[in-house]
Amino acid sequence: MSDRLTLEELAVLMKTAGITVDPTEMARRPDSAFDEYGLDSLGLLGIVGELATASPNIMPFLVPPYDSTSTPTVFVNVRIG
Amino acid sequence: MTSRTVITGIGVIAPNGVGAGAFWKATQSGLSVLDRVTRAGCEHLPLRVAGEVRGFDPGAMVEDRFLVQTDRFTHHALAAADLALEDARLGRADYEGDPFSFGVVTAAGSGGGEFGQRELQHLWEQGPRFVGPYQSIAWFYAASTGQISIRRGLKGPCGVVCSDEAGGLDAFALAVRAIRQGSRAMLVGATEAPLAPYSIVCQLEYEGLSTSDDPERAYRPFTDKACGFVPAEGGAMFVVEDEEEAGRRGATVRAVLAGHAATFTGTRRRDAAGEGLAHAIRGALREADCAPEEIDVVFADALGTPEADAAEAAALTAALGAYGRKVPVTAPKSGTGRAYCAAPALDTAAAILALEHGVVPPTPNVYDVCHDLDVVTGSARPAELRTALVLSRGRMGSNSALVLRKGASANE
Repeated sequence: MSDRLTLEELAVLMKTAGITVDPTEMARRPDSAFDEYGLDSLGLLGIVGELATASPNIMPFLVPPYDSTSTPTVFVNVRIG
Repeated sequence: MTSRTVITGIGVIAPNGVGAGAFWKATQSGLSVLDRVTRAGCEHLPLRVAGEVRGFDPGAMVEDRFLVQTDRFTHHALAAADLALEDARLGRADYEGDPFSFGVVTAAGSGGGEFGQRELQHLWEQGPRFVGPYQSIAWFYAASTGQISIRRGLKGPCGVVCSDEAGGLDAFALAVRAIRQGSRAMLVGATEAPLAPYSIVCQLEYEGLSTSDDPERAYRPFTDKACGFVPAEGGAMFVVEDEEEAGRRGATVRAVLAGHAATFTGTRRRDAAGEGLAHAIRGALREADCAPEEIDVVFADALGTPEADAAEAAALTAALGAYGRKVPVTAPKSGTGRAYCAAPALDTAAAILALEHGVVPPTPNVYDVCHDLDVVTGSARPAELRTALVLSRGRMGSNSALVLRKGASANE
Protein backbone atom coordinates (compact mmCIF):
# COMPACT_ATOMS: atom_id res chain seq x y z
CA MET A 1 0.00 0.00 0.00
CA SER A 2 1.30 3.48 -0.83
CA ASP A 3 1.20 6.23 1.73
CA ARG A 4 -1.82 7.69 -0.01
CA LEU A 5 -5.19 6.04 -0.52
CA THR A 6 -7.20 5.99 -3.69
CA LEU A 7 -10.91 6.73 -3.61
CA GLU A 8 -11.48 3.11 -4.65
CA GLU A 9 -9.54 1.88 -1.61
CA LEU A 10 -11.41 4.33 0.61
CA ALA A 11 -14.75 3.06 -0.70
CA VAL A 12 -13.76 -0.49 0.26
CA LEU A 13 -12.81 0.68 3.75
CA MET A 14 -16.07 2.61 4.13
CA LYS A 15 -17.90 -0.69 3.68
CA THR A 16 -16.53 -1.74 7.08
CA ALA A 17 -18.52 1.15 8.55
CA GLY A 18 -21.62 -0.04 6.73
CA ILE A 19 -21.38 2.69 4.09
CA THR A 20 -21.73 1.73 0.45
CA VAL A 21 -20.55 4.49 -1.87
CA ASP A 22 -19.39 4.59 -5.47
CA PRO A 23 -15.82 6.03 -5.68
CA THR A 24 -16.70 7.84 -8.87
CA GLU A 25 -19.43 9.66 -6.95
CA MET A 26 -16.87 10.77 -4.37
CA ALA A 27 -14.66 12.00 -7.19
CA ARG A 28 -17.56 13.84 -8.77
CA ARG A 29 -18.47 15.56 -5.48
CA PRO A 30 -15.09 16.67 -4.06
CA ASP A 31 -16.65 19.11 -1.60
CA SER A 32 -19.06 16.59 -0.07
CA ALA A 33 -18.19 15.81 3.54
CA PHE A 34 -18.06 12.35 5.05
CA ASP A 35 -21.26 12.94 7.00
CA GLU A 36 -23.12 13.43 3.74
CA TYR A 37 -22.27 9.81 2.97
CA GLY A 38 -23.35 8.76 6.48
CA LEU A 39 -19.86 8.29 7.91
CA ASP A 40 -19.44 9.69 11.42
CA SER A 41 -16.29 10.39 13.41
CA LEU A 42 -16.15 6.90 14.94
CA GLY A 43 -16.56 5.41 11.48
CA LEU A 44 -13.56 7.39 10.23
CA LEU A 45 -11.64 6.33 13.32
CA GLY A 46 -12.44 2.74 12.44
CA ILE A 47 -11.14 3.24 8.90
CA VAL A 48 -7.90 4.69 10.22
CA GLY A 49 -7.70 1.73 12.60
CA GLU A 50 -8.15 -0.68 9.69
CA LEU A 51 -5.36 1.09 7.81
CA ALA A 52 -3.03 1.01 10.80
CA THR A 53 -3.73 -2.67 11.32
CA ALA A 54 -3.05 -3.45 7.67
CA SER A 55 0.19 -1.52 7.47
CA PRO A 56 2.62 -0.64 10.28
CA ASN A 57 3.80 2.29 8.15
CA ILE A 58 0.51 4.11 8.63
CA MET A 59 0.62 6.87 11.20
CA PRO A 60 -2.91 7.47 12.51
CA PHE A 61 -1.90 10.75 14.15
CA LEU A 62 -1.24 12.19 10.68
CA VAL A 63 -4.94 11.98 9.86
CA PRO A 64 -6.56 15.38 10.37
CA PRO A 65 -9.27 15.52 13.07
CA TYR A 66 -12.76 14.72 11.88
CA ASP A 67 -15.06 17.68 11.61
CA SER A 68 -18.04 18.66 9.57
CA THR A 69 -15.84 19.72 6.67
CA SER A 70 -13.81 16.50 6.44
CA THR A 71 -14.12 15.13 2.92
CA PRO A 72 -13.02 11.93 1.22
CA THR A 73 -10.92 13.84 -1.29
CA VAL A 74 -8.98 15.66 1.44
CA PHE A 75 -8.57 12.38 3.32
CA VAL A 76 -7.04 10.54 0.37
CA ASN A 77 -4.67 13.40 -0.34
CA VAL A 78 -3.16 13.39 3.15
CA ARG A 79 0.14 11.56 3.38
CA ILE A 80 -0.50 9.19 6.29
CA GLY A 81 2.49 6.91 5.93
CA MET B 1 -52.12 18.19 33.38
CA THR B 2 -54.74 19.59 31.05
CA SER B 3 -54.59 16.85 28.47
CA ARG B 4 -54.03 13.15 28.73
CA THR B 5 -51.00 11.32 27.42
CA VAL B 6 -51.83 8.56 25.01
CA ILE B 7 -50.20 5.72 23.12
CA THR B 8 -50.71 5.94 19.37
CA GLY B 9 -48.21 3.41 18.05
CA ILE B 10 -46.93 -0.03 19.05
CA GLY B 11 -43.84 -1.79 17.70
CA VAL B 12 -42.98 -5.29 18.90
CA ILE B 13 -39.97 -7.55 18.36
CA ALA B 14 -40.77 -10.61 20.49
CA PRO B 15 -39.84 -14.28 20.71
CA ASN B 16 -43.39 -15.12 19.64
CA GLY B 17 -43.69 -12.65 16.80
CA VAL B 18 -42.34 -9.61 14.97
CA GLY B 19 -44.95 -6.88 14.76
CA ALA B 20 -47.90 -6.27 17.06
CA GLY B 21 -50.24 -8.41 14.95
CA ALA B 22 -48.12 -11.56 15.05
CA PHE B 23 -47.28 -10.96 18.71
CA TRP B 24 -50.94 -10.68 19.69
CA LYS B 25 -52.00 -13.70 17.66
CA ALA B 26 -49.45 -15.85 19.49
CA THR B 27 -50.06 -14.22 22.87
CA GLN B 28 -53.83 -14.62 22.89
CA SER B 29 -53.51 -18.22 21.73
CA GLY B 30 -51.32 -19.08 24.73
CA LEU B 31 -48.57 -20.38 22.50
CA SER B 32 -45.32 -21.05 24.36
CA VAL B 33 -42.18 -20.47 22.31
CA LEU B 34 -39.71 -21.22 25.07
CA ASP B 35 -37.07 -23.52 23.67
CA ARG B 36 -33.54 -24.72 24.10
CA VAL B 37 -30.88 -22.03 23.79
CA THR B 38 -29.37 -22.23 20.31
CA ARG B 39 -27.06 -19.21 20.25
CA ALA B 40 -23.46 -19.96 19.34
CA GLY B 41 -21.12 -20.37 22.28
CA CYS B 42 -23.89 -21.11 24.78
CA GLU B 43 -23.96 -24.89 24.39
CA HIS B 44 -21.92 -25.59 27.52
CA LEU B 45 -23.64 -23.07 29.79
CA PRO B 46 -26.09 -24.18 32.49
CA LEU B 47 -28.87 -21.97 31.12
CA ARG B 48 -30.76 -24.39 28.86
CA VAL B 49 -34.05 -22.70 28.01
CA ALA B 50 -34.76 -19.13 26.86
CA GLY B 51 -37.04 -17.02 24.73
CA GLU B 52 -35.02 -16.34 21.59
CA VAL B 53 -36.20 -13.97 18.86
CA ARG B 54 -35.80 -16.14 15.77
CA GLY B 55 -38.08 -14.47 13.24
CA PHE B 56 -36.17 -11.21 12.98
CA ASP B 57 -33.71 -10.24 10.26
CA PRO B 58 -32.02 -7.00 11.35
CA GLY B 59 -30.64 -6.42 7.85
CA ALA B 60 -34.14 -6.31 6.42
CA MET B 61 -35.19 -3.48 8.72
CA VAL B 62 -32.09 -1.48 9.65
CA GLU B 63 -29.45 0.13 7.41
CA ASP B 64 -25.92 -1.35 7.40
CA ARG B 65 -24.32 1.79 8.80
CA PHE B 66 -26.43 1.44 11.95
CA LEU B 67 -26.07 -2.32 12.17
CA VAL B 68 -22.27 -2.27 12.24
CA GLN B 69 -22.11 0.20 15.10
CA THR B 70 -24.80 -1.32 17.33
CA ASP B 71 -25.54 -4.44 19.37
CA ARG B 72 -28.47 -6.76 18.89
CA PHE B 73 -30.46 -5.03 21.65
CA THR B 74 -30.28 -1.79 19.66
CA HIS B 75 -31.21 -3.62 16.46
CA HIS B 76 -34.38 -4.65 18.28
CA ALA B 77 -34.97 -1.06 19.42
CA LEU B 78 -34.41 0.50 16.00
CA ALA B 79 -36.74 -1.97 14.32
CA ALA B 80 -39.41 -1.72 17.04
CA ALA B 81 -39.25 2.08 16.83
CA ASP B 82 -39.86 1.89 13.07
CA LEU B 83 -42.86 -0.37 13.63
CA ALA B 84 -44.26 1.95 16.29
CA LEU B 85 -43.89 5.03 14.09
CA GLU B 86 -45.50 3.19 11.20
CA ASP B 87 -48.37 2.09 13.44
CA ALA B 88 -48.84 5.67 14.63
CA ARG B 89 -48.65 6.94 11.04
CA LEU B 90 -46.09 9.42 12.25
CA GLY B 91 -43.49 10.26 9.63
CA ARG B 92 -40.52 12.59 9.41
CA ALA B 93 -42.67 15.18 7.66
CA ASP B 94 -44.81 15.41 10.81
CA TYR B 95 -41.95 16.60 13.02
CA GLU B 96 -38.98 17.75 10.95
CA GLY B 97 -40.22 21.31 11.23
CA ASP B 98 -39.90 21.03 15.01
CA PRO B 99 -37.51 18.17 15.83
CA PHE B 100 -37.03 19.48 19.38
CA SER B 101 -40.61 18.52 20.21
CA PHE B 102 -39.99 14.78 19.74
CA GLY B 103 -37.74 12.79 22.06
CA VAL B 104 -36.80 9.24 23.05
CA VAL B 105 -36.72 7.31 26.33
CA THR B 106 -35.63 3.70 26.58
CA ALA B 107 -34.79 1.33 29.40
CA ALA B 108 -32.10 -1.32 29.29
CA GLY B 109 -30.69 -3.71 31.84
CA SER B 110 -28.41 -6.02 29.91
CA GLY B 111 -26.73 -3.67 27.45
CA GLY B 112 -24.75 -4.71 24.39
CA GLY B 113 -23.18 -7.88 25.72
CA GLU B 114 -22.78 -9.63 22.37
CA PHE B 115 -21.01 -6.68 20.75
CA GLY B 116 -18.84 -6.18 23.82
CA GLN B 117 -17.86 -9.82 23.97
CA ARG B 118 -16.76 -9.78 20.32
CA GLU B 119 -14.56 -6.73 20.81
CA LEU B 120 -13.09 -8.10 24.05
CA GLN B 121 -12.19 -11.25 22.15
CA HIS B 122 -10.44 -9.11 19.54
CA LEU B 123 -8.56 -7.35 22.33
CA TRP B 124 -7.28 -10.53 23.99
CA GLU B 125 -6.72 -12.60 20.85
CA GLN B 126 -5.28 -9.94 18.51
CA GLY B 127 -4.52 -6.81 20.49
CA PRO B 128 -5.93 -3.32 21.05
CA ARG B 129 -5.54 -2.25 17.42
CA PHE B 130 -8.23 -4.77 16.50
CA VAL B 131 -10.88 -3.32 18.81
CA GLY B 132 -13.34 -1.30 16.75
CA PRO B 133 -14.21 2.26 17.75
CA TYR B 134 -17.92 1.49 18.11
CA GLN B 135 -17.11 -0.57 21.20
CA SER B 136 -17.09 2.80 22.95
CA ILE B 137 -20.83 3.21 22.43
CA ALA B 138 -22.46 -0.06 21.35
CA TRP B 139 -22.36 -1.89 24.69
CA PHE B 140 -23.71 1.05 26.63
CA TYR B 141 -27.28 1.08 27.96
CA ALA B 142 -27.88 4.48 26.36
CA ALA B 143 -27.07 3.23 22.84
CA SER B 144 -30.65 2.57 21.80
CA THR B 145 -31.94 5.99 22.78
CA GLY B 146 -28.99 7.65 21.06
CA GLN B 147 -29.19 5.66 17.85
CA ILE B 148 -32.97 6.06 17.52
CA SER B 149 -32.69 9.82 18.00
CA ILE B 150 -29.82 10.09 15.49
CA ARG B 151 -31.44 7.87 12.88
CA ARG B 152 -34.80 9.59 13.11
CA GLY B 153 -33.53 13.13 13.65
CA LEU B 154 -35.29 13.45 17.03
CA LYS B 155 -33.84 16.30 19.09
CA GLY B 156 -36.33 16.52 21.94
CA PRO B 157 -35.84 15.25 25.51
CA CYS B 158 -33.88 12.01 25.48
CA GLY B 159 -33.24 9.70 28.41
CA VAL B 160 -32.34 6.21 29.49
CA VAL B 161 -33.62 4.34 32.52
CA CYS B 162 -31.04 1.98 33.99
CA SER B 163 -32.93 1.11 37.14
CA ASP B 164 -33.69 -2.59 36.89
CA GLU B 165 -36.39 -4.52 35.08
CA ALA B 166 -39.05 -2.12 36.34
CA GLY B 167 -37.33 0.60 34.32
CA GLY B 168 -39.40 -0.66 31.40
CA LEU B 169 -42.42 0.92 33.09
CA ASP B 170 -40.57 3.89 34.54
CA ALA B 171 -39.62 4.92 31.00
CA PHE B 172 -43.30 5.67 30.38
CA ALA B 173 -43.34 8.02 33.37
CA LEU B 174 -40.40 9.95 31.92
CA ALA B 175 -42.17 10.16 28.58
CA VAL B 176 -45.35 11.43 30.21
CA ARG B 177 -43.34 14.07 32.03
CA ALA B 178 -41.75 15.18 28.75
CA ILE B 179 -45.19 15.47 27.17
CA ARG B 180 -46.49 17.47 30.13
CA GLN B 181 -43.52 19.79 29.75
CA GLY B 182 -44.42 20.52 26.17
CA SER B 183 -43.09 17.79 23.91
CA ARG B 184 -45.50 16.74 21.20
CA ALA B 185 -44.41 13.13 20.98
CA MET B 186 -42.00 10.61 22.49
CA LEU B 187 -40.70 7.23 21.42
CA VAL B 188 -40.58 5.09 24.56
CA GLY B 189 -39.96 1.46 25.41
CA ALA B 190 -37.34 -1.15 26.16
CA THR B 191 -35.47 -3.88 24.32
CA GLU B 192 -32.90 -6.42 25.43
CA ALA B 193 -30.58 -9.05 23.94
CA PRO B 194 -29.14 -10.94 26.93
CA LEU B 195 -28.58 -14.32 25.28
CA ALA B 196 -24.93 -14.05 24.19
CA PRO B 197 -22.43 -16.19 26.15
CA TYR B 198 -20.91 -13.26 28.06
CA SER B 199 -24.37 -11.95 28.97
CA ILE B 200 -25.58 -15.36 30.09
CA VAL B 201 -22.54 -15.89 32.30
CA CYS B 202 -23.34 -12.58 33.99
CA GLN B 203 -26.85 -13.86 34.76
CA LEU B 204 -25.90 -17.22 36.22
CA GLU B 205 -25.81 -15.89 39.76
CA TYR B 206 -29.19 -14.17 39.41
CA GLU B 207 -31.69 -15.14 42.05
CA GLY B 208 -34.46 -17.12 40.40
CA LEU B 209 -32.78 -17.90 37.07
CA SER B 210 -34.25 -21.21 35.94
CA THR B 211 -31.73 -23.78 34.74
CA SER B 212 -34.36 -26.38 33.91
CA ASP B 213 -33.82 -28.03 30.53
CA ASP B 214 -37.53 -28.64 29.87
CA PRO B 215 -39.18 -25.76 27.95
CA GLU B 216 -42.60 -26.70 29.31
CA ARG B 217 -41.47 -26.78 32.94
CA ALA B 218 -38.73 -24.18 33.11
CA TYR B 219 -40.97 -21.15 33.88
CA ARG B 220 -44.22 -21.82 35.73
CA PRO B 221 -45.00 -18.84 37.96
CA PHE B 222 -47.73 -19.07 40.62
CA THR B 223 -47.54 -22.86 40.76
CA ASP B 224 -46.03 -25.17 43.36
CA LYS B 225 -43.60 -26.24 40.62
CA ALA B 226 -42.25 -22.70 40.23
CA CYS B 227 -38.48 -22.95 39.76
CA GLY B 228 -37.58 -19.47 38.62
CA PHE B 229 -37.77 -17.52 35.39
CA VAL B 230 -36.48 -18.01 31.88
CA PRO B 231 -34.71 -15.04 30.28
CA ALA B 232 -35.68 -13.68 26.89
CA GLU B 233 -34.74 -11.09 24.30
CA GLY B 234 -36.68 -8.60 22.19
CA GLY B 235 -38.93 -5.82 23.40
CA ALA B 236 -41.35 -3.13 22.40
CA MET B 237 -41.35 0.55 21.52
CA PHE B 238 -44.30 2.91 21.60
CA VAL B 239 -45.25 6.30 20.25
CA VAL B 240 -46.61 8.44 23.09
CA GLU B 241 -48.32 11.74 22.37
CA ASP B 242 -50.32 14.47 23.95
CA GLU B 243 -53.93 13.50 23.37
CA GLU B 244 -54.88 16.81 21.79
CA GLU B 245 -51.89 16.72 19.45
CA ALA B 246 -52.75 13.17 18.48
CA GLY B 247 -56.33 14.21 17.83
CA ARG B 248 -55.24 17.13 15.67
CA ARG B 249 -53.35 14.88 13.31
CA GLY B 250 -56.10 12.25 13.30
CA ALA B 251 -54.11 9.55 15.07
CA THR B 252 -55.80 6.52 16.57
CA VAL B 253 -55.50 6.40 20.35
CA ARG B 254 -54.45 2.87 21.29
CA ALA B 255 -54.47 3.47 25.07
CA VAL B 256 -54.26 6.17 27.71
CA LEU B 257 -51.30 6.29 30.10
CA ALA B 258 -53.41 6.91 33.18
CA GLY B 259 -51.12 6.34 36.16
CA HIS B 260 -47.67 5.21 37.25
CA ALA B 261 -45.78 4.88 40.49
CA ALA B 262 -42.49 3.31 41.53
CA THR B 263 -40.82 2.28 44.78
CA PHE B 264 -37.46 0.86 45.78
CA THR B 265 -37.04 -1.81 48.43
CA GLY B 266 -33.46 -3.01 48.04
CA THR B 267 -31.90 -6.22 46.82
CA ARG B 268 -32.89 -9.74 47.84
CA ARG B 269 -35.82 -8.49 49.89
CA ARG B 270 -38.79 -10.25 48.37
CA ASP B 271 -40.80 -9.68 51.54
CA ALA B 272 -40.20 -5.95 51.38
CA ALA B 273 -40.68 -6.04 47.60
CA GLY B 274 -44.28 -7.15 48.15
CA GLU B 275 -44.95 -4.14 50.34
CA GLY B 276 -43.13 -1.93 47.87
CA LEU B 277 -45.13 -3.28 44.95
CA ALA B 278 -48.39 -2.72 46.85
CA HIS B 279 -47.32 0.87 47.49
CA ALA B 280 -46.54 1.33 43.80
CA ILE B 281 -49.95 -0.07 42.83
CA ARG B 282 -51.70 2.33 45.19
CA GLY B 283 -49.72 5.23 43.77
CA ALA B 284 -50.52 4.32 40.18
CA LEU B 285 -54.23 3.96 41.00
CA ARG B 286 -54.20 7.31 42.76
CA GLU B 287 -52.63 9.08 39.79
CA ALA B 288 -55.12 7.39 37.48
CA ASP B 289 -58.01 8.31 39.80
CA CYS B 290 -58.90 4.65 39.58
CA ALA B 291 -60.71 2.51 42.18
CA PRO B 292 -59.38 -1.03 42.70
CA GLU B 293 -62.57 -2.52 41.27
CA GLU B 294 -62.03 -0.61 38.02
CA ILE B 295 -58.98 -2.76 37.23
CA ASP B 296 -60.20 -5.37 34.76
CA VAL B 297 -56.96 -7.29 34.29
CA VAL B 298 -53.52 -7.47 35.88
CA PHE B 299 -50.39 -8.29 33.88
CA ALA B 300 -48.27 -9.75 36.64
CA ASP B 301 -44.52 -9.48 37.15
CA ALA B 302 -44.46 -13.27 37.70
CA LEU B 303 -40.85 -13.80 38.74
CA GLY B 304 -41.56 -17.48 39.14
CA THR B 305 -40.04 -18.27 42.53
CA PRO B 306 -42.36 -19.34 45.36
CA GLU B 307 -41.33 -16.44 47.60
CA ALA B 308 -41.60 -13.78 44.90
CA ASP B 309 -44.93 -15.12 43.61
CA ALA B 310 -46.34 -15.12 47.14
CA ALA B 311 -45.13 -11.55 47.63
CA GLU B 312 -46.83 -10.45 44.41
CA ALA B 313 -50.09 -12.16 45.39
CA ALA B 314 -49.92 -10.47 48.78
CA ALA B 315 -49.23 -7.13 47.14
CA LEU B 316 -52.34 -7.44 44.99
CA THR B 317 -54.48 -8.20 48.02
CA ALA B 318 -52.85 -5.42 50.03
CA ALA B 319 -53.44 -2.85 47.32
CA LEU B 320 -56.76 -4.02 45.85
CA GLY B 321 -58.33 -5.56 48.97
CA ALA B 322 -60.46 -8.67 48.54
CA TYR B 323 -60.83 -7.73 44.88
CA GLY B 324 -57.17 -8.68 44.48
CA ARG B 325 -58.25 -12.32 44.70
CA LYS B 326 -60.95 -11.87 42.04
CA VAL B 327 -59.37 -9.73 39.37
CA PRO B 328 -58.12 -11.74 36.37
CA VAL B 329 -54.34 -12.03 36.48
CA THR B 330 -52.21 -13.10 33.55
CA ALA B 331 -48.53 -13.52 32.76
CA PRO B 332 -48.04 -14.15 29.03
CA LYS B 333 -44.30 -13.95 29.60
CA SER B 334 -44.38 -17.54 30.87
CA GLY B 335 -44.61 -18.47 27.19
CA THR B 336 -41.98 -16.07 25.87
CA GLY B 337 -39.57 -15.60 28.75
CA ARG B 338 -38.72 -12.68 30.93
CA ALA B 339 -36.86 -10.10 28.88
CA TYR B 340 -35.64 -8.02 31.82
CA CYS B 341 -36.47 -4.32 31.16
CA ALA B 342 -38.27 -5.33 27.99
CA ALA B 343 -40.61 -7.68 29.86
CA PRO B 344 -42.91 -4.93 31.17
CA ALA B 345 -42.73 -3.21 27.77
CA LEU B 346 -43.98 -6.41 26.10
CA ASP B 347 -46.60 -6.73 28.85
CA THR B 348 -47.72 -3.18 28.11
CA ALA B 349 -48.11 -4.07 24.43
CA ALA B 350 -50.09 -7.19 25.38
CA ALA B 351 -52.24 -5.17 27.80
CA ILE B 352 -53.13 -2.59 25.12
CA LEU B 353 -54.01 -5.34 22.65
CA ALA B 354 -56.04 -7.14 25.32
CA LEU B 355 -58.01 -3.94 26.01
CA GLU B 356 -58.65 -3.51 22.29
CA HIS B 357 -59.76 -7.09 21.70
CA GLY B 358 -61.63 -7.67 24.95
CA VAL B 359 -59.63 -10.79 25.69
CA VAL B 360 -57.38 -11.72 28.59
CA PRO B 361 -54.55 -13.83 27.17
CA PRO B 362 -53.63 -16.95 29.13
CA THR B 363 -50.51 -17.80 31.11
CA PRO B 364 -48.74 -20.53 29.09
CA ASN B 365 -47.39 -23.64 30.83
CA VAL B 366 -49.32 -22.77 34.03
CA TYR B 367 -52.19 -25.06 35.06
CA ASP B 368 -52.05 -25.63 38.80
CA VAL B 369 -52.07 -22.24 40.51
CA CYS B 370 -51.22 -22.48 44.20
CA HIS B 371 -51.90 -18.87 45.20
CA ASP B 372 -55.20 -17.20 45.98
CA LEU B 373 -55.32 -15.44 42.63
CA ASP B 374 -57.55 -15.74 39.56
CA VAL B 375 -54.73 -16.55 37.16
CA VAL B 376 -56.01 -17.01 33.61
CA THR B 377 -54.70 -20.34 32.37
CA GLY B 378 -55.36 -22.70 29.49
CA SER B 379 -57.08 -20.46 26.95
CA ALA B 380 -57.87 -16.79 26.53
CA ARG B 381 -60.79 -15.41 28.50
CA PRO B 382 -63.19 -12.96 26.79
CA ALA B 383 -64.04 -10.02 29.04
CA GLU B 384 -65.08 -6.41 28.84
CA LEU B 385 -61.80 -4.67 29.49
CA ARG B 386 -61.47 -0.95 30.10
CA THR B 387 -58.51 -0.69 32.47
CA ALA B 388 -55.35 -2.76 32.84
CA LEU B 389 -52.67 -2.81 35.51
CA VAL B 390 -49.12 -3.78 34.49
CA LEU B 391 -46.64 -4.73 37.21
CA SER B 392 -42.87 -5.10 37.24
CA ARG B 393 -40.24 -5.78 39.86
CA GLY B 394 -36.51 -5.57 39.45
CA ARG B 395 -33.85 -7.94 40.65
CA MET B 396 -32.20 -5.06 42.48
CA GLY B 397 -35.32 -3.85 44.28
CA SER B 398 -37.32 -1.60 41.95
CA ASN B 399 -41.10 -2.03 41.91
CA SER B 400 -43.37 -0.27 39.41
CA ALA B 401 -47.02 -0.22 38.43
CA LEU B 402 -48.67 1.26 35.34
CA VAL B 403 -52.40 1.82 34.79
CA LEU B 404 -53.63 1.84 31.19
CA ARG B 405 -57.09 2.86 30.03
CA LYS B 406 -58.68 1.61 26.84
CA GLY B 407 -58.01 3.87 23.90
CA ALA B 408 -61.59 4.10 22.73
CA SER B 409 -62.42 5.97 25.92
CA ALA B 410 -59.85 8.61 25.10
CA ASN B 411 -62.27 10.62 23.02
CA GLU B 412 -65.26 10.27 25.31
